[in-house]
Amino acid sequence: MALKILSVLVENKPGTLFRVTHMIRLMRLNIEGLTCGVTNGGDRSRITMTVNGDDATLDFLAKQLSKVIDVYEAQTYSPEEVTARELALVKLNLSSVSHLDDKRLQGARIVETSDRSITVEVIGTPSEIDRFIHRFDSSHILELARTGTTAVPKG
Amino acid sequence: MHEISGARAVIETLRQEHVKFVFGMPGGANLPIYDALLDSDIRHILARHEQSAAHMADAFGRVSGRAGVCMGTSGPGATNLVTGIATAYADSSPVVAITGQVPKAMTGRNAFQETDVIGVMTPITKYSIQPLSATEIPSGIKRAFYIATSGRPGPVLVDIPKDVQQEVRDIPFPESVEVKGYTPYVEVDPLAVERAAEMLVKAEKPLIMGGGGIRISNAYEPFQAVSELLMAPVITTLQGKGSFPEGHPLCLGPIGMHGRAESNKLVSECDLLMAVGVRFSDRSTGTFSEFCKQAKIIHIDADPSEFNKNKQVDLYIRGDANQVLTKVYKALVRRISRRSDSNPWLARIAQVREEMKSIPAYTDYDSELSGPKIVRKMREVLPPQTILTTGVGRHQMWCEIHWRVLKPRTWITSTGLGTMGFGLPAAIGAKVAKPEVPVVDFDGDGSFMMTDNSLGTAVDEKIPIVSIIINDRSLGMVEQWQRLMYNRRFSGVKFGKSCDFVKLAEAYGAFAKRVTTLEEFGKALKEGISLDSPAVIDVPVSSEEDVFPFMPPGKSIKETVVGPPKEMAIF
Ligand SMILES: Cc1ncc(C[n+]2csc(CCOP(=O)(O)OP(=O)(O)O)c2C)c(N)n1
Ligand SMILES: [Mg+2]
Repeated sequence: MALKILSVLVENKPGTLFRVTHMIRLMRLNIEGLTCGVTNGGDRSRITMTVNGDDATLDFLAKQLSKVIDVYEAQTYSPEEVTARELALVKLNLSSVSHLDDKRLQGARIVETSDRSITVEVIGTPSEIDRFIHRFDSSHILELARTGTTAVPKG
Repeated sequence: MHEISGARAVIETLRQEHVKFVFGMPGGANLPIYDALLDSDIRHILARHEQSAAHMADAFGRVSGRAGVCMGTSGPGATNLVTGIATAYADSSPVVAITGQVPKAMTGRNAFQETDVIGVMTPITKYSIQPLSATEIPSGIKRAFYIATSGRPGPVLVDIPKDVQQEVRDIPFPESVEVKGYTPYVEVDPLAVERAAEMLVKAEKPLIMGGGGIRISNAYEPFQAVSELLMAPVITTLQGKGSFPEGHPLCLGPIGMHGRAESNKLVSECDLLMAVGVRFSDRSTGTFSEFCKQAKIIHIDADPSEFNKNKQVDLYIRGDANQVLTKVYKALVRRISRRSDSNPWLARIAQVREEMKSIPAYTDYDSELSGPKIVRKMREVLPPQTILTTGVGRHQMWCEIHWRVLKPRTWITSTGLGTMGFGLPAAIGAKVAKPEVPVVDFDGDGSFMMTDNSLGTAVDEKIPIVSIIINDRSLGMVEQWQRLMYNRRFSGVKFGKSCDFVKLAEAYGAFAKRVTTLEEFGKALKEGISLDSPAVIDVPVSSEEDVFPFMPPGKSIKETVVGPPKEMAIF
């Protein structure tokens, strides 16, 4: 078992994500991350999922997904084969951050502040985001939202 | 242009798709469609249960090659369709199911008879469509027909909210439709065809395997031509039974759990297997890794997701079987002329056939009304073009082993899902598709009872089919497994006195006869197919007679058992 990226190009219309995720449920895989966004002028969407599974299951899944009507193509990649990025919004307790150029905020962009909290945006590979989050004591993180990985194949 | 209702657009589109028959049942949510139906020349065949309507449409599709249409109302009407749709999906049969749905404004409010039928059926349909405006109806239904019948066929659901059926609009009827992201047909790879021809020519012990795909693509002719050119014997799957005439000297018959012993044996001796339109199901192959592992395998199929799914192969060719086989045939003709009929492989085939003649499965049955004897008698009586449908169970397996399919599209059985209750409604659908040939449902008592109310449909709609009930007062197939694998601990398999099938049939107004000898059976069957009303022939048999050959579940095809336990022999 290893983390894999499943990239599925679909018709942008109601029900397509349901058809795709139902196949993943059938194979008893858990979706660790999921992004979906419109591409190609709005007709199509790219669904990018991170799942934990073995090669055989993922290959099988990609073939079955390619067969689903409304799916143009489905591909699996190992993390090394893609350029992957994720975005996280982290709302921190203001009292936990000594000042706005606290070293730990390096690499993040401040997107909102209030008298209680500061919200920062971090973009990076999933492990860079992990590392950023680990800089803070979990009790100081008021809220956290991650987009999940989106990816394009390298080269 | 003038304005019409969505419901009228449904009927008009069906007419444009050359639909002459629909099978179904009305209800609150599809009343507008039923009302519009009255003003058309499409014949509605009223089912007694929506499952049966779906089986009828399914069999209509298998016999005619055109999509069968079934209809149901929302909620229970739609959920009753589920088993029939799943059956069609498992056997890649073209069906268009049209369901009514609660009005759009009621969606998600647990309205009366609201079921998320697209949610329920997505895993068991090739596609589903929900028009949200009357103007989307013609293109939606056209797409449904196109998807259901193209590439690897399957059922498509069209779920239409009632308000959309009632909406009156200026509705466009497109000539043709496009389905994005769907490429059912591809150019056949010419290099792969040449490689296949090379492999076939080189093989010393070639074997050819036909599946349901031969029927779907009407590839009977090139399939037979390739086999005859190479003098390569043919085995089939259960769904592919009849993809090659079973009286032909090169035909060995089906392989599988209850395949012919000679087929199960020889598949482990060939040096090349060319499999066409098959999916290497576990019921056909036994343990995947042991199956045909000595041979090179060529796999031809329309559905690329089947390649290397269950069985690793040496060469695969994507495409419509008819097209691919025609090209393979031409590539072969450029290399060889018709092979002679004497070579060591054919001698070996003849030898195995001779040896197998005396196995208990083919010889050892003393009772007058024994499954194999009944099936063979039936073949003597029925003309070659007769369509046979079946239930699911031992009776079906006796047909697999002993019935000879002589003509294309005359063997209609549920294999992928193994749905009891398929036989009678399937016979009705088949007869509607092809009224000029006799249609016989060879059924088990258990299977028959699941949909026996379809007799009402057959009688009222004057659809003269014959049901033969192999009446062992048991779920015989399960009884057999309990006898052989659960130490004769019979649990939940025996029926009591009910039901008297003669009285039942008579209550419906069908011709009915109980027979006690083979001769009586033959006579009753002859009479049955000559009638213009439905007939039921009750054939009481012993429940102790098991069906062999038998490849036990989880075993390899080499472990096929050719006779009952006392002489349980593994070849
Ligand atoms: C709808 C359904 N329920 C249960 C089964 C499991 N099953 C397979 S064969 C069989 C017995 C069939 O009995 P019958 O139709 O009388 O045929 P027989 O084996 O006695 O010839 C059963 C219960 C099934 N295939 N389909
Ligand atoms: Mg029975």
